Amino acid sequence: MNILVYLEHDGSEVKKASLSALSFAQALTHGPDDSVRFLLIGENLDKVASQAAKYAPTLVLEAMELAHPIAERYALVIADAVESQQADMLVAASTSQAKDIISRSAALLGGAMASDVVAHARVGEELQLDRPIYAGAVIATVVLKGSPQIITVQASAYEASPPSDSTFAVTPLSPNLDNVPQRVQIIDVETKRSSRPDVTEADVVVSGGRALRTSEDFEQLVGGLADALHGATGSSRALVDGGITPNELQVGQTGKIIAPEVYVALGISGAVQHLAGMKNSKTVIAINNDSEAPIFEEADYGLVGDVYAIVPDLIEQLNSG
Amino acid sequence: MSLSTETYDVIVIGGGVAGLSTAMQLALRGAKVVVLERERIGNGSTGRAAGLLGQLRGNSEHTRMLMDGVEIVKELEEKADVEIFVQTGSMRIAETDARAEEIASLVRMGKSIGFAIDHLPADEVKKLLPYMRTDDLIDACYCATDGHLQPAELVSAYVKVGKDHGVTYKSNSPVTEMLMAGGTAYGVKTQDAEYHAAVVVNAGGPWSYLNAEMSETTLPTAAIGHYYLTTRPDSQQPIDRLSPAIRNRELRIYSRPESGGLIVGMYAAEPEIYDMKRLPVDFDMSAMKASQASIDVALLLDAAQRRFPWITPQTPMNITTGIMTFTPDGRPFCGKMPNIEGVYHCAGFSGHGIVQSPAIGVIMSELILDGNSSYDLTSISADRYFDVPELKARQDIDTKCCEMAGNYYGKVERPSAPAVS
Amino acid sequence: MKILVPAKRVPDTDQKIEVCEDHSGIETGHLPFVVNPFDAIALEEAIRIREDRVDAEIVAVSVGDLEYEEQLRTALAMGADRAIRVDCIESLDPWNTACVLKALVEQESPDLVLMGKQAVDGDCNQTGQFLAAMLDWPQATFASRIKCLEDKLLVDRETDAGIETVELPFPAVITVDLRLNEPRYASLPGIMKAKKKEIAEISMGDLGVQNAEKMHTVSVRSAKTARKRVMVSSSCELAEKLRESLKST
Repeated sequence: MNILVYLEHDGSEVKKASLSALSFAQALTHGPDDSVRFLLIGENLDKVASQAAKYAPTLVLEAMELAHPIAERYALVIADAVESQQADMLVAASTSQAKDIISRSAALLGGAMASDVVAHARVGEELQLDRPIYAGAVIATVVLKGSPQIITVQASAYEASPPSDSTFAVTPLSPNLDNVPQRVQIIDVETKRSSRPDVTEADVVVSGGRALRTSEDFEQLVGGLADALHGATGSSRALVDGGITPNELQVGQTGKIIAPEVYVALGISGAVQHLAGMKNSKTVIAINNDSEAPIFEEADYGLVGDVYAIVPDLIEQLNSG
Repeated sequence: MSLSTETYDVIVIGGGVAGLSTAMQLALRGAKVVVLERERIGNGSTGRAAGLLGQLRGNSEHTRMLMDGVEIVKELEEKADVEIFVQTGSMRIAETDARAEEIASLVRMGKSIGFAIDHLPADEVKKLLPYMRTDDLIDACYCATDGHLQPAELVSAYVKVGKDHGVTYKSNSPVTEMLMAGGTAYGVKTQDAEYHAAVVVNAGGPWSYLNAEMSETTLPTAAIGHYYLTTRPDSQQPIDRLSPAIRNRELRIYSRPESGGLIVGMYAAEPEIYDMKRLPVDFDMSAMKASQASIDVALLLDAAQRRFPWITPQTPMNITTGIMTFTPDGRPFCGKMPNIEGVYHCAGFSGHGIVQSPAIGVIMSELILDGNSSYDLTSISADRYFDVPELKARQDIDTKCCEMAGNYYGKVERPSAPAVS
Repeated sequence: MKILVPAKRVPDTDQKIEVCEDHSGIETGHLPFVVNPFDAIALEEAIRIREDRVDAEIVAVSVGDLEYEEQLRTALAMGADRAIRVDCIESLDPWNTACVLKALVEQESPDLVLMGKQAVDGDCNQTGQFLAAMLDWPQATFASRIKCLEDKLLVDRETDAGIETVELPFPAVITVDLRLNEPRYASLPGIMKAKKKEIAEISMGDLGVQNAEKMHTVSVRSAKTARKRVMVSSSCELAEKLRESLKST
């Protein structure tokens, strides 16, 4: 088994989610003929490459044209690399970047792709992959037909692979850029200005729902509790719809699918779309004024009451204790 | 495996406003009550209702019930510390002579019983409702003491006071069987338990006819689809929180303010009939959605736009759809049927369940504990169609009730005699 | 300018989804079917583009059996000019769906394919990207704002890092995200007009596409998990539970 793992980065740091993709790939390889290597793409990659080499052998594709992760360019060089390295499998973490780029690569590689994989099993010759469908209400077990196989995994489903004591080889590849199109240009990137961790990477996530009436209230209560717990903030779809929170905070079927250690739901009723995004959290805590709210069915600890009354109290207790 | 058995004085089937109010009133008088809800408390028709309160009805006993209801609600607001009644006032508008005559007779009737209602000149209408088209109106009437009840708050108050007085609430507990011996009910069965009680109240809303069937009784109610829209708050089109509710019967629509936006609902001429047997037992009414190409929504949008020209298909809005329970005459069924002892029906509120529920709880508790009521129940007795052969078959019942729902706003009302207080 | 909008028929996933006893799929008997909500957003955007530039034609397409006409009729009522149904009784995976769409694009020569970022039944998030790759067209996924200029498109993309604005030429594939717009409900005249419109039917064979499965579903199961469901009665108690949960991480 020869696997390439697409390594995501921000120019200076390896993305933690890619280490989960690595551990999925490592779990599939045992024999001496097996290999798992990172595929690192971008410009000025020395720092990221040396970091990556702590985890796995790393193939590096560097070029000015690859400075930004633009799908039509990346997809082509990734597909080239998979073919030239004769890889059987291309793996990536299921991030917005991978959905954009890796899916496009997959089509160039024959289209045998499964996204958002949360578990796997070898059954005879087959690799069976579990992936959530219907907003996470159902898990489908699928097998891919054809080679190479392209798989994205949910980072929350696989532990990040630990660094090794030794340093692996970093091998530069020369990308063939002759056919790489330059039709799409990035004009502007408006990065998030939050000092809090990303909702997809945080160990603790505090989310707010319909009970929060304004952006200010959200910041004070949800943000306040998140800060007290050194966690990230999340939001239900209702608040995104209502313009109270930005889209990237949305946890749910159509937003982020996360599995933090602790998930705190403030004033979230618990519609299935929302549950789909957080139900794999290790511990779920819910506060809602409706004792019949379905979120309590999905919670380990629940408290019935008004978030406006309870949360300030809770923040004070956490800060003082 | 034998089921566990719990014994109560009264079992209420249905955790909507009718069942919750009945349970609360019974408990206030010392009865031991359990409410068995098929899915979640307040998540059926109750959770989808607009809650408009227009106290002046064609029947003086109904008006009395609604006015008494407001008093009960005011007490509840204190006990539960929530705002339930929003007194926005209400307006009826007329754009045809027939509708103007309808308004005139309503005002005459109201005045005859000392109810504060009067005609409103066009410039006053415009002032109260700047967001409504008024140039085509020939008359309007206004009542300052009307408004709406907020369904979610009403439910939480019923449950809070009920819990304080020992009512047991069980959600996700659909009743699977009525336990009967010799023409008398003595309890019900759910999947997990048996409940025994001398009295079973059928407050199943749209499901009530199925509950009645379990006690070998035909209850002539039908499950009728209903739609309303809620516009999103828009600074260009401010809707005052206390601007009056509007009834525009000619266009079949009503409206009221809702959190900065406007609710506009429609009593369709040809509403959808639901076969409740076909819905899953744990059917979640809050998950009902209108199709993007629903003819009912299109009709609603069309009528709404005629009265509120700023509402277009592109206006940011939510469409709410749910199921209400209609009867052949638009009045509820409250009380026993002649064929079975121990079963009291409390259903068929025909679009008025929220606002009738406060008094209905009192009426049901009186019927159950005293055997009679302080209200004249002639027009809402459960057995008023018991001997009508045309109202036995499901299809006939559906047709009749649907006709009633279709005529509800459409037909011009002609109150025959002034009501006597 | 011509805009192609694929519209998938999917069960309404806001309803309770139950798995069939033989684990071959889900129970659909009681489920209402809708236009995939993301496709409806794409269609709404196409309609808005046409409202700005009168020359635009919107073609809604679907790959499925006769029942899919319901969703195409909805698309027509909302405002699509034409509809095409590619007759297919099997449920296609993203690869094969993209193959069909590619053939349709070659037949219809649209300037833009606007589609949902994913269908809410399979949740794959692949078909748009597959189609763009097969056509060798530029793509912009997860669009939250689209500006359609004379010779190019400006698209805001929702990424994990924030909003990325990209510029791309025609023809292109754009997949849309939740916040792009709110699909309208059809108007009465829209519904009336849609009743008279023809839904063209093409077979997979006519398009020269054969279903060759790339992702095979072995079985499905319900994803329900068990929770402790302990109710506490004070914020003090809850703070304690929070501390305990944090300690065990």
